[in-house]
Amino acid sequence: MSTKSYRTSVFVAVPLVAAMATGVSARDLTIVGFGGGYQDSAREHLFMGYERATGVSVSDDVYNGEMARIYAMVEADDVTWDIVMVEAPEMVRGCEDGVFAPIDWSVVNADKFIPTGVHECGVGATGFGVALFYDTSRVSEGPQNMVDFWDTERFPGRRSMRTGPKMTLEAALLADGVPLAEVYDVLSTPEGVDRAFAMLDEIKDDIVWWSAGAQPLQFVGSGEVEYALAYTGRILRAIDEENQPYEMLWNTLIYSIDYWTVVQGSEHTEEAMRMIEWITNAEPLLAQAAVWPISPANAEVNSDPAVQAANPGMVLNHADQGLFIDTDFWIEYGDDLEARFAAWAAN
Amino acid sequence: MDRNSRLGILLIAPLLLLMLVGFVLPIGATAFKAFANPEVSAALPRTTVALDRWTGEGMPDEAVFAAFVEDLQSPQDNRTFGALIRRMNFEQSGMRSRLSGARRAAPDLEAPYSVSLIELDPAWGTPDIWQLLRTHSNPYTATYMLRSMDLRIEPAGNIVAVDPNMAVFRELFVRTFVISIWVTVFAVLLGYPTAWYLSTLSGRAESFALLCVLVPFWISILVRSTAWFIILQREGPINAALLFAGLIDTPQAIIFTRSAVYIAMVHVLLPFLILPLLSVMKRIRPEYVRAAASLGARPWQQFLLVYLPMTMPGVAAGALMVLMLSVGFYITPVLVGGLQDQMVSYYIAYFTNTSINLGMAAALSLLLLLLTGLLVAVASRFMPGLSTGPRG
Repeated sequence: MSTKSYRTSVFVAVPLVAAMATGVSARDLTIVGFGGGYQDSAREHLFMGYERATGVSVSDDVYNGEMARIYAMVEADDVTWDIVMVEAPEMVRGCEDGVFAPIDWSVVNADKFIPTGVHECGVGATGFGVALFYDTSRVSEGPQNMVDFWDTERFPGRRSMRTGPKMTLEAALLADGVPLAEVYDVLSTPEGVDRAFAMLDEIKDDIVWWSAGAQPLQFVGSGEVEYALAYTGRILRAIDEENQPYEMLWNTLIYSIDYWTVVQGSEHTEEAMRMIEWITNAEPLLAQAAVWPISPANAEVNSDPAVQAANPGMVLNHADQGLFIDTDFWIEYGDDLEARFAAWAAN
Repeated sequence: MDRNSRLGILLIAPLLLLMLVGFVLPIGATAFKAFANPEVSAALPRTTVALDRWTGEGMPDEAVFAAFVEDLQSPQDNRTFGALIRRMNFEQSGMRSRLSGARRAAPDLEAPYSVSLIELDPAWGTPDIWQLLRTHSNPYTATYMLRSMDLRIEPAGNIVAVDPNMAVFRELFVRTFVISIWVTVFAVLLGYPTAWYLSTLSGRAESFALLCVLVPFWISILVRSTAWFIILQREGPINAALLFAGLIDTPQAIIFTRSAVYIAMVHVLLPFLILPLLSVMKRIRPEYVRAAASLGARPWQQFLLVYLPMTMPGVAAGALMVLMLSVGFYITPVLVGGLQDQMVSYYIAYFTNTSINLGMAAALSLLLLLLTGLLVAVASRFMPGLSTGPRG
């Protein structure tokens, strides 16, 4: 009898203890971004800065913009991310879909932002963009613009672009000679979409698609591809800090602004609003700007001549050379173009 | 019920429970998700009732418009309405802006709504949009399963092929099975001689050779796939060796191509063929082949007529295992293949992680399961050594 009951109790106790050990514990305020050098500098000067200033424990995480994780969290009522950096169209769509909480503009001071930095569910964080780059030690005479990027005769080799229609279709039309100002007019018509996909067909076999921001740097660095469209901040870091012989072309810039959002149903919603207010203030941003070429949506920092002069890599400094991603266009057509791109890429 | 049968049930109870929790429930939930269609009736409950009374001919009457506007005006969770927007935009492009525009304007609309709503957006004056809502106010839909076969339902309810620009899944399923079958063929061609060689060894040589098969088998698939990513790079060891040997003049692009997918998948799956085959070969006594030889069979006859038929159960078991595993492969093609080399699992992940369409993910999973089942049924009918019936 004693052996038997001993065994029984072990069978009952082991799963019980295991269940208790994995139980819920208090969660830090969690902020999520796209990673890379931007996030390293943000961790040091914004996230840890806030922790030092307030004593609130902050931890950060990285994602590649997969909205499904956020949707799944909200739907399952198990929100583990509080503040997430998202691209503009995803922010607006997520706002309509109820996955991002409305920003408490009594906590966050709306006056400090550039006009595009204020939205119902989003607070302007930083400008970002992709641009063409290549390794001059492997390719002496590289492409000089988007038209060259498409020219596989003069510039043979593989090219790398971000998986998905956004920035890809724009690049295709620019390569077809569409002027910057007309890209979205053309893309708003079915013929324009066909034209962009026809351009993509021309170089389809030469494209290697990337999903994480670090990949195109790795592909070009290892000689796997000759040319790539990659995030400008990452390219600049490779040039400045790792002394890579890369050439980056500002005239191929396609850019936009990322937003800070608060996930609907976060247990730290109020704290998140206070943190967003703090990390968009001039003081921490100036500290971050000293180590990383950010283009913050904070108007004071953004127009600070000293910051601009010290950071030639600020995306918003090159606004006149690049294409600003049309948020409204991608809200309207995003779902359909995603589906069309998925079908195109698979065939 | 006597004591023995009660005891019997008790003994298999854990097994039944495991089957239920690990097999019946997840597959059942997936099957349900593939047909569930709750979005319209959840976000537009009054409209659903009103549309039910409408014949579906011509334009609906004011009652439907009034119910719709009332639904839009009612304070409800953004999430419920967001789900409706995404659901309807999947069925018909442009529905996102149509629905969110109507919702934004709803508080200011005045009766009669069949006039004011159409003034706001003429699209509400076409029967199509109302038929679309009516079709999808049904809590179940075949839309996901049909889309998985590149078909769609028109607002009025008839089934048509999707726009050729949007068609992807038929080719995707064909590609998945073609890749899987080739991987199986390559695995058999490489694995058979390897297993035969292993079966001829004994003692220390055997243990060592077996270890060479088992060690990769024990390493995670992710690690092995990543290793292939490094090996197959343009400036990786394979290209370096080929250049050194003078077989090629310029480094070849291997990674992100179909060949890379085949190479990595065959390597990852090879042990699943070798191990069952080896256990069969080990049990074949050499006397059979010797007997054939003594009766005058030539070497090829000894192999084809005596040895090969005896090893077929091992080949069949191994090949089936490789085939079934490759059909569901995800991580290896993602790491070493291009977008044109991805299989069904990639799109299941795409609909789960990127496109946020669990209905499509469930439908693709279900279809993959059904087609794999069908393939196995056909294979067991025609492959010698696999059928459970009398061997022929």
